[in-house]
Amino acid sequence: MRTALALGAIAIVLCAVPFVGLPAFYESFLYLLLSAIVLATSWNLLSGYSGYFSFGHGAFFGVGVYTTAALTGKLGWNFLWTLPLAALAAMVLGVALGAVVFRVRALRGELFALLTLAITFVLATIALNAVDGGPGIMVNADIPKLAPTASGVLYLLMLAAAALTLWTAYAMFHSRFGTGLFAIHDDEDVAEVMGVPTYRFKLAAFAISCALAGLAGGIHAIFVSYVTVAETFSIALAVNVVLMSALGGTRHWLGPAVGAVAITVLLYAFTSGQAAVIGRALTGLILIIVIVAMPAGILGQILKRFRTKTAPVRLPRSEESMQKAVRHSSEPILLVRGVAKAFKGIQALAGVDLEVRRGEILGLVGPNGSGKSTLINVVSGHYAVDGGSIRFEGEELVGKPAHRIARAGIARTYQIPRPFPQLTVLQNIALPPMFGQVVMDRASAEREAWRWLEFTNLADKAHRYPGELNLHQRKFLELARALASRPKLLFLDEVLSGLTPAEMDGALRLIRAIRDQGATIVFVEHVMRAVMELTDRVAVLTYGKAIAEGVPGEVMRHPDVVSAYLGAAHV
Amino acid sequence: MPSATLLGQSVLSGVFIGALYGLLGLGLSLSWGMLRQVNLAHFALAFLGAYVTFQLAAVAKVDPFVTLAITAPAFFALGMALHWFFLRFSVTLLNTLLVTFGITSIIEAGIQWYWTADFHRMENAYAAVRWKLGPLFLSLTDVVTLGFALALAVGTWAVLRFTDLGKAIRATTEDAPIAAAFGVNEKLLGYLVSGLAAAVAAVAGLCLALNHTLAPVQIYAWMGVVFAAVMMGGLGRPIGPLVAGIVIGVSEAITMAVTNPTWAPLVSFSLLIAILLLRPARFS
Amino acid sequence: MKIDRRRALAAGGAILSTLALPPFARAQGKPIRIGSTLPLTGPLASLAIIHKVTAEICVENLNKRGGLLGRPVEWVLRDDQSRPELTRTLYEQLITSDNVDLIQSPYATASILAAMGVAQRYNKVLLHTSFGIPKLAKYDMQFQTAGSPFDPENVWPNHIFDAAAKLPKPPKTIAIVTSKFPSVHAISVGAREVLKKRGLTEVLHLEYEFGNRDYGAIASRVKEANPDFLWGGTNGIDPVLMLEAMSKIDYRPPAQVHLFPAPGPMLKMPAAQGSLALTTFESHPPFTDDPAIAQFVKTYAERAGQAGIPYTAVDLQSAIMYAAWQVLEAAVTSTRSLDDKTLGAWLKKNEVKVLFGTLRWNGPQNYVEGADLYKVKQLQQGRWVVVHPTQWAAPGAKIT
Repeated sequence: MRTALALGAIAIVLCAVPFVGLPAFYESFLYLLLSAIVLATSWNLLSGYSGYFSFGHGAFFGVGVYTTAALTGKLGWNFLWTLPLAALAAMVLGVALGAVVFRVRALRGELFALLTLAITFVLATIALNAVDGGPGIMVNADIPKLAPTASGVLYLLMLAAAALTLWTAYAMFHSRFGTGLFAIHDDEDVAEVMGVPTYRFKLAAFAISCALAGLAGGIHAIFVSYVTVAETFSIALAVNVVLMSALGGTRHWLGPAVGAVAITVLLYAFTSGQAAVIGRALTGLILIIVIVAMPAGILGQILKRFRTKTAPVRLPRSEESMQKAVRHSSEPILLVRGVAKAFKGIQALAGVDLEVRRGEILGLVGPNGSGKSTLINVVSGHYAVDGGSIRFEGEELVGKPAHRIARAGIARTYQIPRPFPQLTVLQNIALPPMFGQVVMDRASAEREAWRWLEFTNLADKAHRYPGELNLHQRKFLELARALASRPKLLFLDEVLSGLTPAEMDGALRLIRAIRDQGATIVFVEHVMRAVMELTDRVAVLTYGKAIAEGVPGEVMRHPDVVSAYLGAAHV
Repeated sequence: MPSATLLGQSVLSGVFIGALYGLLGLGLSLSWGMLRQVNLAHFALAFLGAYVTFQLAAVAKVDPFVTLAITAPAFFALGMALHWFFLRFSVTLLNTLLVTFGITSIIEAGIQWYWTADFHRMENAYAAVRWKLGPLFLSLTDVVTLGFALALAVGTWAVLRFTDLGKAIRATTEDAPIAAAFGVNEKLLGYLVSGLAAAVAAVAGLCLALNHTLAPVQIYAWMGVVFAAVMMGGLGRPIGPLVAGIVIGVSEAITMAVTNPTWAPLVSFSLLIAILLLRPARFS
Repeated sequence: MKIDRRRALAAGGAILSTLALPPFARAQGKPIRIGSTLPLTGPLASLAIIHKVTAEICVENLNKRGGLLGRPVEWVLRDDQSRPELTRTLYEQLITSDNVDLIQSPYATASILAAMGVAQRYNKVLLHTSFGIPKLAKYDMQFQTAGSPFDPENVWPNHIFDAAAKLPKPPKTIAIVTSKFPSVHAISVGAREVLKKRGLTEVLHLEYEFGNRDYGAIASRVKEANPDFLWGGTNGIDPVLMLEAMSKIDYRPPAQVHLFPAPGPMLKMPAAQGSLALTTFESHPPFTDDPAIAQFVKTYAERAGQAGIPYTAVDLQSAIMYAAWQVLEAAVTSTRSLDDKTLGAWLKKNEVKVLFGTLRWNGPQNYVEGADLYKVKQLQQGRWVVVHPTQWAAPGAKIT
């Protein structure tokens, strides 16, 4: 309530600026600030949140500029109507580019940056030759009398754009959309497997980012009233938005705005005629000093200092009923038939047949390199199969994107833990519930996460980062994360390796408890003791094929299995 | 339809400008790929080298090539100093961009303060020298630039590939702690690579001074296309930026030979985009 | 004729008094503040420094002569970093926050348009120096001090072809190579029409993007087209880059024009000798016949040298800025007013003699259709000299 009032007050003050009778210059200067805020914040929505660095923000800004310039300057349209079109044009372009680019798996990091940079040159040339023709476009717009001065009107327009942008950034940051983007930033493949629809999210973030840049561009065309290609599609803007966001802090929705204000003020401070050149040098020096002193960005650093560790919320143990599973069942929950997967000549899976029964703990064993992890990877959708069928509860999984598989109720841990390094333990565990079978909102997901934190004894580490945990704790983090989405089928990939015998006992108890709560577990392990104690049935893989499946005692004495592990018998 | 001579000369021209892109990109690629530092200041450094070369040649009447004996070691030291700075303050990848942008501003301001923003052209006897290869002309300064670009790119590649030092560098890039466990001194190698990258900037500066008219604003003019060449060629791959740069240069030159030159950037960058989308695996 | 001694003495005294610094004509009172911006940093900085040095000399001279209306003149200069959005904001600051009395010109079309919008909103007179597309100047109280015609795309090509017709071998075939920089591009488009009307043949038409680095293909195409005359719609260092590329393939156009080259870099280039270009002023007689102008040329050479500018001769860029201050002084002094409306009205009805001719603003959009104060200069043995029209040509200079 208090924040709403405060925000309202700020809004009123800001809107009142043009009517207070200040010299028009203040409105123009504030316009410059707001424009920088819009551009930096919108850039950050994709690039800061998800880590896909765009060097092409100038291109989408330019599209907005030229849309308004062409429609108002050349065709005489009322410029207000051109603004949504400017945003739309930029967005359509972004979506077109993203639709192609985000599909290509190998296109990460620098390549996306390169593509967006290249697009700037392409669009600049097209604008120069097809739209502008050379002489630039004069944009004489009739500015509606919304405020005493023209500058005031433009200020109000850009204020509206900035408010929209900041609100979008805030909303995204606090939503599962934002969490998903941050997860993509840290580890896109794992995010996808945890249920984040990575393609859709990236595309949406990119579209929003481009649309806002286009909007800012449309308004800019009116502000300068004369546009040329060289001015508009410069690389300066592309670099500046990166600088502003990094300076303020890319991991917070308000960070870029802080950086934008800082850099704009800094550049403006040195516009005096005598100080121009030395001002440039000083700007550079100040930038260096600030970023060295505040590596997480200005806002980032401030937040780090003043972040109060929220106390663990002790929730009453929920009596929500979990699926009460039948202890053993002969009905298969997962049916793997003839699954094959090759990696550049190595046939990791050569036609695997496997059956997992509902409610059981199935051990999956085999020598190193036999394909156990690969099998988990293909079932969870981490890799695509070359052939075969995987039916889960009757539905075919082959061909489905990994996030759909997660939604269906399959979860897995990674042999070498892959937590999201820049999310806290709590945030890591809260992610799958937001994207898993039962899609929860942030608050419910965090409550769910607390349950699993307690279950795995990690509650006191909730606000730490994975890097601060030891191996045992990280394995349990993996476990908690996999459990948090209440999967029907859980793959545990060598959860026990590296644990001390005492830790191992605890883990085994945990796993049994998990099954008792209704999950089916496939348990990949080398530690034979655990396999024999824990599993209901065992399947053995060698060279990408399942060679035996059955009760542990029998399977481990099977001659094929023995020779697989120990080699041919010497008589 | 343009004549064979026209096409040939244009292609040559594209190769030569591509060589300059590759030369400018080499240092950038090395520090980005191997040291995880995006050194935006590389361009400013190259132009500083160009201006110093100009000053020594125009005022002190030193032969431009001889100026390398001064600029290369000096820049090597500068490169090491930069690396020291990044290590001392544990600067992350994203922040190296900011820091080097700041350094760029400082260097640019320094250049403008000393030499003004006005244009400077280095008069030198080498500019007039040219040879004929059949119907095609080759100018000395262009050939020298290509020579430097090839020598440095191929030389760096060879060192990385065949020498122990190169293997150590590659190992450190892949996995520093493990490499350290095998006795590789990451710090020393970092200084070496950083110094080398900066020294290459000095060479690029010489070629810029020989072939172009200088103005501080040019620092930014080359950024876009060289960045593209670097990212295209693969970070940390010495020959990559050269090849990519030549692809860009030649595709633009052919466009300019065949149609209205104003379409050149469209063709080269569309080609880039097409290559990226159709064969992305090559550039991981 | 007997020279009347008294008259001679009086005349001598008069001359002396104009040359000597009058120590008691010191400006007094509250300074008149005149505000403007220049791109002191950023891509256009190379031109700004010329304007800055020139304006500083002008303001100094003004104050030595007693200032304006007896008051000292203070020039408030800001750096617009070559960005029109900053130009707009800074002019608003100058007018509404710094409360300057009058404003002066920024540099180049985009910034001038930004300043023009502000001037319009506050009913300020805007004198401007370097506006490339006259038809876009729609504000009632804008007045150019460059001497440009209203239709430069028609007037300038005719001018240049008139000069070219005086060449030892008048050209018949023309190759047009132009950058897509707004102002020069418009002139080149006009040139294509004009040459047709004059019965010349266009053998090549190329446009390139401003900022192009590789002129190899362009050079080859010109060589292959083998024109009598190369029309270079170029400015800045483009001409140098183009000519260098041509030298590399052993080609030199028989005759050429480059519209607005940076004068310095071309001086020593063998391939550039004989090139024509447009200018308003060059530092030789008859321009320097006026002693005040000769003095200015000297002072500028000193100051430019001190500032580190490589080319220290006064030419087009410096002259248009000098003219801007001449016009301002004339208008204020004649109307004895600092009121923009009064000044604007005066300018429309009057003319001002500046260092390269007489400026008038009585035509469409305050320009003068057809009339033109631009001249054609030629690079002869490392010096730029005006060759056309002959009344402005350097003594003894002929087009070669």
